[in-house]
Amino acid sequence: MKRIEARLKEEAKRLLENGEVEVVLAYGKGYDDRHPMPYAAKTVTDTERIVFNEYCTHNMARYLMDYPPGTRIAIAVKGCDSRAVVVLLQEEKIKREDLVILGIPAAGMRDAKTDQPIDASTTCDMPNPVLYDILLGDEVTVPGTSPYKILEELEGMDGKDRWAFWSGELSRCIRCYACRNACPMCYCDPCFVDQAEPRWADKSPSLESNLMFHLTRFYHLAGRCIDCGECSRACPMNIPLHLFHKKVAKECEAMFDQAAGMSVDDKPAMVDFRVEDSDEILL
Amino acid sequence: MLRKIGFERTSELVSALMEKGEVFAPVANSAGVNFQKIQEPGDVTLDFYNTLQSPKSVFFPQTDDMVRYRLTHEGTEAEEVPLDFEPRIVLGVRPCDVRSFEVMDRLFSGGGIVDPYWENRRKSTTIIGYAFDKVDPADFYSTFGIGAADPTGSDIFMVKGESAFLLKGITEKGEEVLGSIDLIEDASAKDKEYFEERLAGASLLETRTLATEGTAEKLEAVFENPYWVGAAAPCLNCGVCTFVCPTCHCFDIQDETLFGKGVRRRIWDSCMFTDFTLHTSGHNPRTKKSQRLRQRINHKFSYYVTNFDVISCVGCGRCIRSCPVHIDIVAVVEGAMALP
Repeated sequence: MKRIEARLKEEAKRLLENGEVEVVLAYGKGYDDRHPMPYAAKTVTDTERIVFNEYCTHNMARYLMDYPPGTRIAIAVKGCDSRAVVVLLQEEKIKREDLVILGIPAAGMRDAKTDQPIDASTTCDMPNPVLYDILLGDEVTVPGTSPYKILEELEGMDGKDRWAFWSGELSRCIRCYACRNACPMCYCDPCFVDQAEPRWADKSPSLESNLMFHLTRFYHLAGRCIDCGECSRACPMNIPLHLFHKKVAKECEAMFDQAAGMSVDDKPAMVDFRVEDSDEILL
Repeated sequence: MLRKIGFERTSELVSALMEKGEVFAPVANSAGVNFQKIQEPGDVTLDFYNTLQSPKSVFFPQTDDMVRYRLTHEGTEAEEVPLDFEPRIVLGVRPCDVRSFEVMDRLFSGGGIVDPYWENRRKSTTIIGYAFDKVDPADFYSTFGIGAADPTGSDIFMVKGESAFLLKGITEKGEEVLGSIDLIEDASAKDKEYFEERLAGASLLETRTLATEGTAEKLEAVFENPYWVGAAAPCLNCGVCTFVCPTCHCFDIQDETLFGKGVRRRIWDSCMFTDFTLHTSGHNPRTKKSQRLRQRINHKFSYYVTNFDVISCVGCGRCIRSCPVHIDIVAVVEGAMALP
């Protein structure tokens, strides 16, 4: 990780120095080693504050939409993060020529809240970036666990029990929108939940209203969610949102034979109509 | 008077308190430990550092129903939800959170227009404060002269001993409640000594501090400084900080109707939300997250000081611990104060 940090700083410095980019999206020092922060370096001096360690879990693709179109941006991405960049490219929210993608093959990442290792149960488990300009380390061996194995328990439940599980989890939601705001793909302005006319969901955190918000968001992300798990990590109430997103992703992949964010030549499954598409969704 | 009850009898204490009114106390669940209205005495835990969200919801709940109505062809039938005078006891409030009630009193019931919802609940609640026995690095409540075992503002103050909780009546209201619970014993002289030692020794439990001299003026002076763009760069503009904070109090009033029946209720709002300052004309004076972060800091460390003579922050550290991107409010304020 220290080598990746050194390479990251090196590339950031180089790219800013020769004016190839206006900003480098990476990670910076937080109040201690276990709490690094998303960081936007704009000058060579800024790059001194760049860090990379096992707690750098944030998906920097989230910040791409914060900049006006045409801004030249270098972005540090791990495996899932790179897939988020691909989705944004597929959706034409950013241009490939405006990006310098610094790929980080990440192994040994840990959740800052719990200090537990991050694996296929809470993430897509693709440690190697799928798209990059410069790779900052050696590719790591893919562990080979399915990111959907964790769903077995829920899938095995009776419908009533599953409903009880999700009702229990979602009644803890306080509608802080950390999940939505942490997601690189939730860039809609306005978000449906912020609209008053028509009012799709009430603002107060009742179970019905929470269900409306979350179920709609789960479906708005079908074919787009790249399973980085940041939504669940951002949630102050420890709601395992990633489990529902994984289920939707799994179904979508099975139905349309395409995983989200793997190739810039694809379009997200719900956007791209092909004559041979499965009719299952209509039945 | 000083009284005591063994750890293993906590639920008995809670039961006894439940006979006197609604009890709000910390409960552990998969989110962590949070204040809840207690249904089962056994649910209460006093084994925690501090709760995820502040206890402000005892007086200022996230949703507060005000008017219930029915829309009919003949017109609208509406009735006000009666004000709440139910006696309440809130158990396990850390000293920084006890102070937060006083900070909020200045706004809600200090003068001018008084909020009857806040005021009535404050009047009918007995606060059982709870001394810290260690310090979390995120906390900075020492900044505001709040002690780790500070009984100020509590009606009853509780200290965790070796095997029992020691409870002391601080106000008349507290003494009365404490005296009326038969199942807890009087503390011994040795206990009294221990209690006083804990209160005195708490000054050794110091948090980090933030220099707050002149924040009101300085923050106004650096309003246009581009510092805020960098400070807000990692911010997600979610509402976690505002929703865990003991002194954030912005609210919205919404009419929530379904099939002709509804309720007008006050709900928590957040200056971090993009539509917080959205006008009906469509104009939004705060479109950038740098403006919104600046607003939150200024409200707490500048405008509230100008209006109410106190910083609207008690250094509880929750925003720092819960922020998904680990923003440290102390670093943000220090950065602003250090600007030329």
